[in-house]
Amino acid sequence: MHPYASQLAELFHHLYPEMALVLCACVLFIGGLFKADRRLWGIVALAGLATAFALTLISPEAQSLPGTAVFGVPVVFDSLAHLTRLLALASGAMFILLCWDESPERFVADHHACFLLIIAGVSMVGSANDLCVLFLALELISIPTYILLYLPKHDDASQEASMKYFLLSVLASAFLLFGFSYLFGITGTTNIAGIMQVMLGANDEERKAVAGMAQISMLMIAAGLCFRVAAVPFHFYAPDVYQGTSTSGAALLSYIPKIAGFVAMLRIFGFVLPPGVDSAGHRAIGMALSDQTPTLFWFLAALTMTIGNILAILQDNLKRLFAYSSISHTGYMLVALASAPYLSGPDAATNGVAALLFYLVAYGAMTFGVFATILMLHRTDRPVESVDDLAGLAKSHPRVALLLTVLCLSLLGFPFTAGFTGKFFVFFGALATHAPGSTLPHWLYPTLAVVGMVNAAIGGWYYLRLISVMYLRTSVKPIETCGSIPGLATLAICVALTLGLSVPPGANWLLRSVRQTTDRTAIVAQPQALNMVPGP
Amino acid sequence: MPSTYLWMILALPLLATVIIATVGRKLFPSKCHLPCVAGAVGACVFAVLTLIAVLQSDTGAVETGRDVVWINAGKMTANISLRADGLTAIMLVMVTFIGSLIAIYAAGYMHGDPGYPRFFAAVSGFLFFMLGLVLVNNFILLYACWEGVGLCSYLLIGFWFAKPSAAAAARKAFLVTRLGDIGLFIGILILWQNFGHSLEYDVVFINVKEQYDAHTLDPNLLFWACFCLFVGAAGKSAQFPLHVWLPDAMEGPSPVSALIHAATMVTAGVYLVARCTPLFGLSPNAQMLVAIIGGFTALLAAVIAVTQTDLKRVLAYSTLSQLGYMFLALGSGLGEQKLASLAVMAAIFHLFTHAFFKALLFLGAGSVMHAMHNVIDMREFGGLRKSLPITHWTFLCGAAALAGFPLLSGFWSKDEVLATTYGAWQHGHGAQPIVYGVLFFSALFTAGLTAFYTFRAYFMTFWGDEKLPHGVEHPHESPAIMAWPLRILAVGALLVGVVLGPTHLFQKVIDETWVIQAFPHLQGAHHPNWALMAGSSVIALAGIGLAYLFYVKQPSLADPAITLPSLYDLSQAKFYFDELYELTIVKPMTIFAHVCRIVDAYLLDGVVDLLGQIPAFLGFLVRPVQNGLVQFYALLMALGMAGFALSVLMR
Repeated sequence: MHPYASQLAELFHHLYPEMALVLCACVLFIGGLFKADRRLWGIVALAGLATAFALTLISPEAQSLPGTAVFGVPVVFDSLAHLTRLLALASGAMFILLCWDESPERFVADHHACFLLIIAGVSMVGSANDLCVLFLALELISIPTYILLYLPKHDDASQEASMKYFLLSVLASAFLLFGFSYLFGITGTTNIAGIMQVMLGANDEERKAVAGMAQISMLMIAAGLCFRVAAVPFHFYAPDVYQGTSTSGAALLSYIPKIAGFVAMLRIFGFVLPPGVDSAGHRAIGMALSDQTPTLFWFLAALTMTIGNILAILQDNLKRLFAYSSISHTGYMLVALASAPYLSGPDAATNGVAALLFYLVAYGAMTFGVFATILMLHRTDRPVESVDDLAGLAKSHPRVALLLTVLCLSLLGFPFTAGFTGKFFVFFGALATHAPGSTLPHWLYPTLAVVGMVNAAIGGWYYLRLISVMYLRTSVKPIETCGSIPGLATLAICVALTLGLSVPPGANWLLRSVRQTTDRTAIVAQPQALNMVPGP
Repeated sequence: MPSTYLWMILALPLLATVIIATVGRKLFPSKCHLPCVAGAVGACVFAVLTLIAVLQSDTGAVETGRDVVWINAGKMTANISLRADGLTAIMLVMVTFIGSLIAIYAAGYMHGDPGYPRFFAAVSGFLFFMLGLVLVNNFILLYACWEGVGLCSYLLIGFWFAKPSAAAAARKAFLVTRLGDIGLFIGILILWQNFGHSLEYDVVFINVKEQYDAHTLDPNLLFWACFCLFVGAAGKSAQFPLHVWLPDAMEGPSPVSALIHAATMVTAGVYLVARCTPLFGLSPNAQMLVAIIGGFTALLAAVIAVTQTDLKRVLAYSTLSQLGYMFLALGSGLGEQKLASLAVMAAIFHLFTHAFFKALLFLGAGSVMHAMHNVIDMREFGGLRKSLPITHWTFLCGAAALAGFPLLSGFWSKDEVLATTYGAWQHGHGAQPIVYGVLFFSALFTAGLTAFYTFRAYFMTFWGDEKLPHGVEHPHESPAIMAWPLRILAVGALLVGVVLGPTHLFQKVIDETWVIQAFPHLQGAHHPNWALMAGSSVIALAGIGLAYLFYVKQPSLADPAITLPSLYDLSQAKFYFDELYELTIVKPMTIFAHVCRIVDAYLLDGVVDLLGQIPAFLGFLVRPVQNGLVQFYALLMALGMAGFALSVLMR
């Protein structure tokens, strides 16, 4: 029998939540053939998510991975996996509420079914311990997304947007696979824990021998994942696709692929090592594939923040504006990733991975809230498409305007919002970074932080513009649509999260959870010296 | 419970904002000033109680517990806690007292404005953040309130958003101060990283002191930390070269100018540097920088103010100049020479008296605007002392106090500033005597200019033949609700100096400041310098006399265009006299002032505007790439990756 057969069998207990999601998707696919009912299928989808959530809570706490078992199993369940799953389920529920009224009634079941598959995929990304599983999980997100972008709106623009996303996403997947193949070539395994062990365990000569290949592989993987998180120069699709597709499609793209992309980066570049991998070596986290990883992220972060922000200033179309805004927020998260390797260690006061995850959660609340508002207010006879369409919102919908203002302030990084707390951790971390023993100049990361802060100051420009349009301008034709209940609920929850995650106890609770992901002492059963290279 | 006072001071304005923003707007839109005034007055009562409690307490401070944890990330912990010592208590009393009077005045001034509730909601919100800024007990909460103050100021400057200039001024103010905030943030980080991994004031200060005593302090590190903090302070307090936003900020309503751009918000930077005296006091280079920037701003702004014709702009430049004085004092507080406590006293005393007379002057200017139907150009009106008697007398009190007229409040506080700089000149070593000597004489000269431009504005507005702008038939004095705050402030402008200064009452309160008590090495004894007082009195009187000569006695002298032809009509004896003035004072002054104005308006403004244009320009360059062609995007992705591959592999 396979030495890890019992561990493999046990894995199914841990995968119940994903199974529940897929099962629910099947029910929706089939049921949708017989009945077109927005409310029914919405409730079924929410029930599916709730079931998955319940199963997550009652599923066995820790996975038993004795000895070298981690090198034989395709999925691991550590605190990052747990956090990703919770985040996926929570954002899933928010999204179902957000798009409650948007897609035509006869497609609702298909729409929600596709979406549940996406959530299952995101959740799987968090626990993937094998290149194949990781790739499949990412495709489980991409393929339903192509359909989902087209379902709610059947016009030329939407068609073009979906097609663009499809073609470029396929290209990105090709990059990713190419990178994976090199990685397999170098290490002889597709198991991520195994890859980490081999790369971290290698001595300097061995590393030097494969440095070129490893760098190519790192670059290709980074390119593939940067497409998902919309980092420059892999962001080109974002503004066009956001503008062309439905509002809920834009909301989806602005957040769900970001979770998957960043979590995948944490896994594949070795920012978060699976339990059982011996990291006693001297290599900092995130440098498993190559020592150049932080440098690459440094440039990606600087480019992404700056280009996203300066292009956002020029936009009049709301969805385009938030596309660029979403790009610039990716840039801030990349700052956290770029500084993470130098901020590890048990007594590190700031922690790049934790900062990234904190920001990711905070950004989710902000972006879903904004898109929920746009979607809720938009009607074909009184569109809410350009910035000017928001004029006079404070008169016609004072409460919605106030909530949207809170979200804008959070995006801008105003104190006492989650956006500020997130930015605080990111920039504080980057400023506190000094790379001991590396050849990097000591001003490198502080410079990145200053670039980030200047960008955050520039960002103030266009978020303030939204606020001033709502409050200070009057509209010839006021918005008359009254907000739908699910839309208002999404907005209210998003604002509550935005405020709640910036003050105690919310801030500390989230902070504890995200810091746990890098706290490996709690999970590793026994420290082990491993010389064996686990083969395929 | 004294610590409850601190929470109440914060809670009342916040409550007022919430009430106005939620129910007030709908239920009683024309009575929205009531919650705001009530909140401000209530906060003022608690501020006075706090001041008394501080004076009575053994530790010299009132403090709340530090058990509410805001952020806890390993070594980085931030509490939500408040603390009031002498410095804070003075700021609290000043902000709430002036704030209350301005809120009352604004109830009359803003009457009938469509944005009435919005105005008072923003004013209350501003008071909340400003009071929070002085009350909080750690750097990160300070930063949070600092940003909050900036946001409220944005809302208030851009209050008349329909005017494009107001919207532009608001944005400029927000962005320039936000650039300064980056400096503050970096400064806080340097302190956190090197001095005890803490964000609490006391831990950082004590750690710096310990390192200093153990001779392990890196002076460069401390200098850069202070430098970054000062960048933040300079942004908020409008010091050169980040001062460009303040004159434009006069686009806001006059009460806003009085509240934010004279009495409170702009003093936040002074407060920060005063609060961080234990740091600045140990870094002579940082202090010299503060003094030079302060002294230079004081001179530059005073020179520019001489040629301004917009009454509010004269006052705005005068504010810049007076803030420069405060920084000059702080920068002169050489820790090694035991001048630091004197410096804090001088700066905060000047801040305190300045708040009274500058608020008074701005409200007076508002009253003039109110009567002149929003005309503020001094060339359009004149001789208003008959038609606006209350405004005239109160304005005169403020102007005399600002000019440093003997025994009025500005006289006492400005004298403290000069005495501190004089002390630094006399006791410094190395390059210090030269620098502080130059700064001392520059400050004396600035004092003369201050007297001149203040009375120039006063005479141009209130003296001469009565002249009214188009469309104003019968100027009417402001209603009682506006006149009473003017009267109260006028009494303050006349008396606070003499009551608090020579009696050492102010000194006593400032000495309750724990940064000063905990660091005896910074303290020094205070001796009045009678010669200096006499000298500065003469200079102030000379400035006032010159203004009288140019703008009342011989108005023709003031206008260089008329001066030359009219020279023939003057008597022979006077001719030489006037020519002397003309050549030695008026001409060089005019030219210098114009040069400064040009540098300020075109060069600095241009640079700042250009900086603002850079993003749009870059965007313009990058935009064509976004052409919508999917194959082009794919190509760019591949090219981008190739670029990264090259750069990574080449290393």
